[in-house]
Amino acid sequence: MKYLSEYRDAAIARPLIERIKRTATRPWTLMEVCGGQTHTIVRQGLDELLEGAIEMIHGPGCPVCVTPLEQIDKALMLAARPDVIFTSFGDMLRVPGSDCDLQQVRARGGNVRVVYSPLDALEIARRHPDREVVFFAVGFETTAPANAMAVWRARELGVPNFTVLVSHVTVPPAISAIMQSPDNRVQGFLAAGHVCAVMGWTEYEPLAMRHRVPIVVTGFEPLDILEGMLMAVEQLETGRHTVENQYVRSVRREGTPAARTRVEEVFELVDRKWRGIGEIPMSGLRLRPAFAAFDAELKFGLGDIHVNESPECHAGEVLTGKLKPPRCPAFGTRCTPEHPLGALMVSSEGACAAYYHLAKYRAASEAEPAGAVS
Amino acid sequence: MCLGIPGKIVELRDDTGLAMGVVDFGGVRREVCLAYVQDEARLGDYVIVHVGFAISMVDEAEAHRTFEVLREMSQLDELGWLDEVAEAAEASRGSATTVTQTGSRIP
Amino acid sequence: MTAVSPVTLACPVPLVAHDRVQLGHGSGGKMSAALLRQRFLPALANEALARLGDGSMVNVAGVDVVVSTDTFVVSPLEFPGGDIGSLAVHGTLNDVAMMGARPVCLTAGFVLEEGFPLDILDRIVRSMADAASLAGVPVVAGDTKVVERGKADGLYINTTGIGAADAQFRPAPERARAGDVVIVSGAIGRHGMAIMAAREGLAFETTITSDSACLVGLVERLRTARVDVHVLRDPTRGGVASALNEIAAASGVGVEIDETVLPVPDDVRAACEVLGLDPLYVANEGILLAFVPAEDAERVLAALRSHPLGAGALQIGRAITGHPGMVALRTSLGGTRIVDLLPGDQLPRIC
Repeated sequence: MKYLSEYRDAAIARPLIERIKRTATRPWTLMEVCGGQTHTIVRQGLDELLEGAIEMIHGPGCPVCVTPLEQIDKALMLAARPDVIFTSFGDMLRVPGSDCDLQQVRARGGNVRVVYSPLDALEIARRHPDREVVFFAVGFETTAPANAMAVWRARELGVPNFTVLVSHVTVPPAISAIMQSPDNRVQGFLAAGHVCAVMGWTEYEPLAMRHRVPIVVTGFEPLDILEGMLMAVEQLETGRHTVENQYVRSVRREGTPAARTRVEEVFELVDRKWRGIGEIPMSGLRLRPAFAAFDAELKFGLGDIHVNESPECHAGEVLTGKLKPPRCPAFGTRCTPEHPLGALMVSSEGACAAYYHLAKYRAASEAEPAGAVS
Repeated sequence: MCLGIPGKIVELRDDTGLAMGVVDFGGVRREVCLAYVQDEARLGDYVIVHVGFAISMVDEAEAHRTFEVLREMSQLDELGWLDEVAEAAEASRGSATTVTQTGSRIP
Repeated sequence: MTAVSPVTLACPVPLVAHDRVQLGHGSGGKMSAALLRQRFLPALANEALARLGDGSMVNVAGVDVVVSTDTFVVSPLEFPGGDIGSLAVHGTLNDVAMMGARPVCLTAGFVLEEGFPLDILDRIVRSMADAASLAGVPVVAGDTKVVERGKADGLYINTTGIGAADAQFRPAPERARAGDVVIVSGAIGRHGMAIMAAREGLAFETTITSDSACLVGLVERLRTARVDVHVLRDPTRGGVASALNEIAAASGVGVEIDETVLPVPDDVRAACEVLGLDPLYVANEGILLAFVPAEDAERVLAALRSHPLGAGALQIGRAITGHPGMVALRTSLGGTRIVDLLPGDQLPRIC
């Protein structure tokens, strides 16, 4: 596929990896904020290839990992209602709530449907005027324009049976929170290319200045990520700390203004809790009062609920880079991909699950059966 | 957070005031909302699509340039490598040459 | 998480401690395996069943006979490249063939929903008949049940296949040996993506057609090549990744595959990119995986390539002594990725 396959070229990637290793005079700790980048890093084994030169901390950039337990529980309550068709991106179906997940709600009779686009959820609402259709509007700045448009269209077309359960978060406050943490280990960031495709990168300039940290807007293919790492390492090696753009083909300084405008029309900033991390001021989005009719929490009177995570789960420290998953006391014992205590053990790219598979593989590779002949 | 895939606009249309279109992803086609890029997007242009929405244009000239820079960098690097190996070999033969950083960086 | 409250709610329940059947239990992944081991095997245990092959061999009055059964539920019932009727024939014949047996006959059981259109039923039954006659295997017994409207999704089919075992040709999941090469007979991911593209809600236009096909003829080429094929498997639900994991576990070997040679067609790859899916876990209905001794690899490839369904056959990896029971993928950049069983179904993702 054009603009995808060529950025996976191993013949270019290998020398890039060597170059990063030679440029780094000491090991540097970088964080990729976005789950999509984590996906590429884990799937291509880039961590392993750069061992000794760069340690990547997989940051809090995946709605699966950071959507707060309260919102998951609200989703489960709504999905269980007999009058509701609950629509969601596939990602959210296996995220554990307090006592089950959306797949289990479906097994108990809930009408839960996976959609590709929020406009598909709106279409389901138009085709089922006798049912309440709720869409689980999760995600970061990349997804916000799509979810904002679905709400906007619902109002424009007059679709009274469509509502959204909003759990939107934004990246810059999270970067700020991580940098302000007293035991922060992150020395440079790969900023999420698609978040910046929408938002541009002006918000990151004061962050790079204030925290004296390099931030490189980076794409998602292996060559993008390697180039982004190289740019960050070069800044670190030369004592610079600015915002640079690796993902030039898709990101402009101002982002995509029409998308930003629609997001601002529909949503407003609010303090938001991040699963595993806690509340980060002004880090979330909620519907503006003008769109209250499309707010599932108001329509179904969900109000505030208070829940607590497993005290054994240290996801927050992992997401902010303070704790490596294998050092968590529950890792691999009481917390495994089959029995996750927290969200990071759920998807195969969750930081904990990724470490778990690697540890299992290394253990198995070292313990070759005695006398086995190949 | 953000699976965004580049695809080519192959159809443009208006759905009761909303700019929509069909985008081709290497042979797979899907209806996509083009409202956020409608001022720029033309048939045949490439856009990044996330959850059924075009969130930005792909700048083909920049894409080409990035790729060329990367490719040149890797080729230069391979040459740089050879230099280094040669220098190291020389050094090990007792010459006083110090091995220096190759520094074949593209600005 | 450091905030501990005195009235802490229970932590998220372990994902396998379910009180109800979920869709994931039918995915061919970890949940399916758990259902089998925890619910069915303890109650129905016997030596043949415990081997968890595609079917079993039983001795009937001194003759070894292979029996395999499979139930087909697919939405939509008719899809690009096939329908539930031909699929029900191919699927079971393929399972019999994977045990090295020659299929002799089939049985078919239908569960029909009240109100199901008879013209569609006619098309599906005709397609079934065509598939069976093309394979030269008659449907010799059948059964029909009708359930109330809303109690089934149109039509389900169960087929059982009987085959004559071949003492000289007995591939089995536990026979893989370190040093074997892993061969795939053709392109991966077509069936699953053809079905997914046709699903409501995802609605992608593609040219992808299901690979649904009868593999009996292809297996005959292997039989006549006189090679000791250690394992044959058709990687259906759960895809190539799940099949390799099952073989690695059953044989106690590690499996290493090479990402750069995996035969993923461009349209399948594109659809997977858009939906965020991994083609290694996507279902196939017309290809097979073979584990064969390295010295026989060329002969096996030649035998497979002599048949139209095996024209694209190639080596994708090998069995090793390291990491027994696990499958590792060597990425195109030289990194390593563990290819584990998925807990349940692969779901489209945005992240």
